[in-house]
Amino acid sequence: MKKALSLMAALSLMLTFAACGDSSSQTADTEESKADSSSSEEVSEESSEAKSDGTKEKINVYAFTAEVPNMVQKFIDTHPDFAAKYEMNDTQVPTTNGEYQPALDAALADGGVDMFAAEAAFVLKYTQGEGSKYVAPYEDLGIDISQVETAEIAPYTVEIGTNTDGKLVGLGYQATGGAFIYRRSIAKDVFGTDDPATVQKEIGPGWDKFFEAAEKLKAKGYGIVSGDGDIWHAVENSSDKGWVVDDKLVIDQKRENFLDLSKKLKDNDYHNDTQDWTDDWYADMAGTGKKGILGFFGPAWLINYTMKDNVHDTFGDWAVCEPPVGFFWGGTWVLGCKDSDKKEAVGQIIDWITLNTEEDGLQYMWANGTFAPNEDGTPGTKDAVASGVVMKKSNGEVDILGGQNMFDVFVPANNFANGKNLTPYDEKINSLWRDQVRQYTAGNKDRDAALADFKQAVADELDIEAE
Amino acid sequence: MSHKASSRNGSTAYRIFQYVVCIILAILSLFPFIIMIVNATRSSAQIQAHALSLIPSHYIKSNLAVLTSKTFHPLIAFRNSAIISICATALCVYFSTLTAYAVVAYDWKFKKIFFAVIMAIMMIPPTVTSIGFYQFMYKIGMTNNFAALILPPIAAPATVFFMRQYMIPALPMEIVQSARIDGAGEFRIFNQIVLPLCKPGMATQAIFIFVSQWNNLFIPMILLTDKNKWTMPMMVSQLAGDMYKTEYGAVYLGLLLTVLPIFVIYFLLSKYIIAGVALGGVKE
Amino acid sequence: MTGSQKHLKGMSYARYGYLFALPFIIAFLIFTLYPTIYTFVLAFTDAHGVGNEIKLLEEPFGNFSKILSNKTFINSMKNTVLLWILNFIPQITLAMVLTAWFTARRVTIKGQGFFKVLFYMPNIITAATIALLFHALFGYPNGPVNEIITSIGLRDSSYNFFTSKTAARLIVAFIQFWIWYGNTMIVLISGVLGISPDIYEAADIDGASSSQIFFQITIPNLKTVLLYTLVTSLIGGLNMFDVPQLFLQGGPDNATGTAVVFIYNKAFTGKQLFGQAAAASIIMFLIIAVCSAILFYIMRDKDAIAAEKMKKADMKARRKGASVI
Repeated sequence: MKKALSLMAALSLMLTFAACGDSSSQTADTEESKADSSSSEEVSEESSEAKSDGTKEKINVYAFTAEVPNMVQKFIDTHPDFAAKYEMNDTQVPTTNGEYQPALDAALADGGVDMFAAEAAFVLKYTQGEGSKYVAPYEDLGIDISQVETAEIAPYTVEIGTNTDGKLVGLGYQATGGAFIYRRSIAKDVFGTDDPATVQKEIGPGWDKFFEAAEKLKAKGYGIVSGDGDIWHAVENSSDKGWVVDDKLVIDQKRENFLDLSKKLKDNDYHNDTQDWTDDWYADMAGTGKKGILGFFGPAWLINYTMKDNVHDTFGDWAVCEPPVGFFWGGTWVLGCKDSDKKEAVGQIIDWITLNTEEDGLQYMWANGTFAPNEDGTPGTKDAVASGVVMKKSNGEVDILGGQNMFDVFVPANNFANGKNLTPYDEKINSLWRDQVRQYTAGNKDRDAALADFKQAVADELDIEAE
Repeated sequence: MSHKASSRNGSTAYRIFQYVVCIILAILSLFPFIIMIVNATRSSAQIQAHALSLIPSHYIKSNLAVLTSKTFHPLIAFRNSAIISICATALCVYFSTLTAYAVVAYDWKFKKIFFAVIMAIMMIPPTVTSIGFYQFMYKIGMTNNFAALILPPIAAPATVFFMRQYMIPALPMEIVQSARIDGAGEFRIFNQIVLPLCKPGMATQAIFIFVSQWNNLFIPMILLTDKNKWTMPMMVSQLAGDMYKTEYGAVYLGLLLTVLPIFVIYFLLSKYIIAGVALGGVKE
Repeated sequence: MTGSQKHLKGMSYARYGYLFALPFIIAFLIFTLYPTIYTFVLAFTDAHGVGNEIKLLEEPFGNFSKILSNKTFINSMKNTVLLWILNFIPQITLAMVLTAWFTARRVTIKGQGFFKVLFYMPNIITAATIALLFHALFGYPNGPVNEIITSIGLRDSSYNFFTSKTAARLIVAFIQFWIWYGNTMIVLISGVLGISPDIYEAADIDGASSSQIFFQITIPNLKTVLLYTLVTSLIGGLNMFDVPQLFLQGGPDNATGTAVVFIYNKAFTGKQLFGQAAAASIIMFLIIAVCSAILFYIMRDKDAIAAEKMKKADMKARRKGASVI
């Protein structure tokens, strides 16, 4: 024990000196350097980097998953000229508990970011909100923005990525228009066919038709969706107004109706009452839940990222059709920074990710599964992408859907998507709203109380009063 | 005497009761570790379908592959965590003991006020200072610097408080006095006589501090943006971060690897927990 | 040694008192006091979001009045106290019982070292892991707990623990209890071992029963340590954050939202209203300070008496020498 303690003490002393070596100077001259500390330190850091890494400059990428960093790396790997000059220095901070934004904000204020990724839930903060002061318009990155037209980029992607001055500052590479993803065997059993054109007419258009179908399914012992979260995304992104207009809380009629839709699902036992992203929700994908579930609402990424690994025995038993209401869900936008001194390099990467329609551009690879092919060389994950031009020349046939070409459904689905109902606070307000809806459907409070408590919670937590 | 007999019967039943309670609590304590070990061997899809299972699977290799395929390396994260936690623990325990000694062994004018202040600091919720702390660290450029995580624990009021309570009965001032007569310097007395006497108390505190430092997530997350400086919990939370495609198997394996070093430290120091550390004023 | 000599000696060594406390003071000034003052100043400003200019509020206490009239904050304060009481009472009770068992000198429990080591173990896992495990455990509709209660016929259908306020609170309280009882037990055992064995020997000679000894000797002599436990647990409890935040994000319907969860949300999500978060932090600090002051008042009373005794005890201890260890 004695040895262990003394060893620990000695070791720690050594390490402290090592760790403090570069910090002591900083703490010592705190007073003088306070004013210009950030700039001087940056210089010293950069010069030391340059020494250790030869002539290569680092492109600092911030992201909340490995997706965008992987793309940047791929760009570097496939462009030797670029690779000779630059390399990537990526920082990935998850969004799970909200750590990404504080970390990104601090780094942006510090000027240590060249480009970053933002998710639909908070992208508006950086394209139109407070974070937009750190972001450079695509033009300033040397990107030819007329390509938006020629590549036929999905309009909502552009809307969301346009700042308050009308300049384009961010684009996504995915198209996240949604479809209804259903089990063929259950459709055959209840509707007599698994043909998308027919199933689409059985479950829609509109929620009334949807509930008629739910009743038919119930008669055969099936549920129509896994939980109310499944229809929430369809409701949320098909509504006319976002949560906040002119700094006042607005409850769009379609969103308010979600209370009734959710209650109806629960009271009539049309679903398995699961919550999205929980074990029981995944179980319904594999068909091992309480009762068989017809389908899920989702964009192409839901099929390829989430369902693919979770459907197990139901692999190939799925198909997509037009949903009862059009909607979109999620997506990642790529932004470049105003303070970056490598704007042109950043512009080249962003252009390749968001606007290049060639076969060696990111979007084509992304749509056709050649970005990260399987080990045997067959196409890997396929996803719907933002460029209409790329979608037209891509093949969306996937095995999980029994060989159906999913792009037939997802390309038109993008027309329903619009960027007008997003706000920078959606993540927070959605969770408060879903919480109150659950209280109402569980019978813990009445409809008016749920609405009143929701307004109160938004006012209390975000300082946004109801109109 | 019937009373005695019944109490003996009662005591047998009572003893069984004691053991039953202890065994139940022990199982409850082991449960998360068992789940962690089992899940580290299962695939993400298996875990998503049934998060809790006692039946191990055979995916430990692929989980390890996922864990090491990321752009960061567990070994680096492990080294970083070790540097931060060991330094912070050592500094915290050493200086807290020193501070407690200052309060216990010497009479100085502001001692009472000082002790009252220590008590008051203990009451300041860390959340109060976290906002100011991280903005301050940014201002003076201490981001990506381990010192920002290692040095603050030097002022750990709760540890000072504990060490003071511990020292009052456990430290015979007589020894200090005789050492002074032998001409030993005050600092030497502390290092060579007081510290060894306080070892059991320090060990208990070391466990508490090491555990909290090792598991610390939020402040490192905000301060350490350079991937090469990331800690184990940050790495694991990064794995769990992609909610659309969480690699649960690798997450559990990561969690298991994260908890292992704490195990080692804990069992190294646990003999003090088993033996018990005397604390509290001796009253007669 | 006469009193005056001793006094002189004390005086000459006083500078070591300052010297040895110096590292603590410096670290405190830099890492705690400055950020605290910074927070206090923020509370009077409109600080929010990123990179915005910070202005003093025209109405200095605007943030405070906003927070005090904030129903969610008031509700969170109530939750905090409720959750603390719900976990602390069973926690201290179990810790006391285990302490009594493990320090009993007549009937010792076999393998108690093993048990002691195990009971502390929940404390070494991160809250994130624990939240993840309990979320899976109480999953609805098909989590293991639900499978058990439906299969043994306790209920016909699954129970949604995550929409019931009471259930969610009880689970959070249980998790807190389960994480901390081992820690409390270790501290209490330390306290009992600090009680002079002479007292117990005297009690043995008087023929006192085990329970008599526990209630009439152990508990009264454990008061300082109990207060230490109470104060640290109160402070920790009022700062409860990890488990409620990670388990159900303070839900359902804010039933497990604690004051710190509220502050965290204010400062780091949505509009990032640092000013209001700082004001809420200060209100929290004042509440904790008042609560602790009450506890310390009780403690100080004893300390003052103890201080007198200590001087005597000091002398006695010196006579006893190393035998204490």
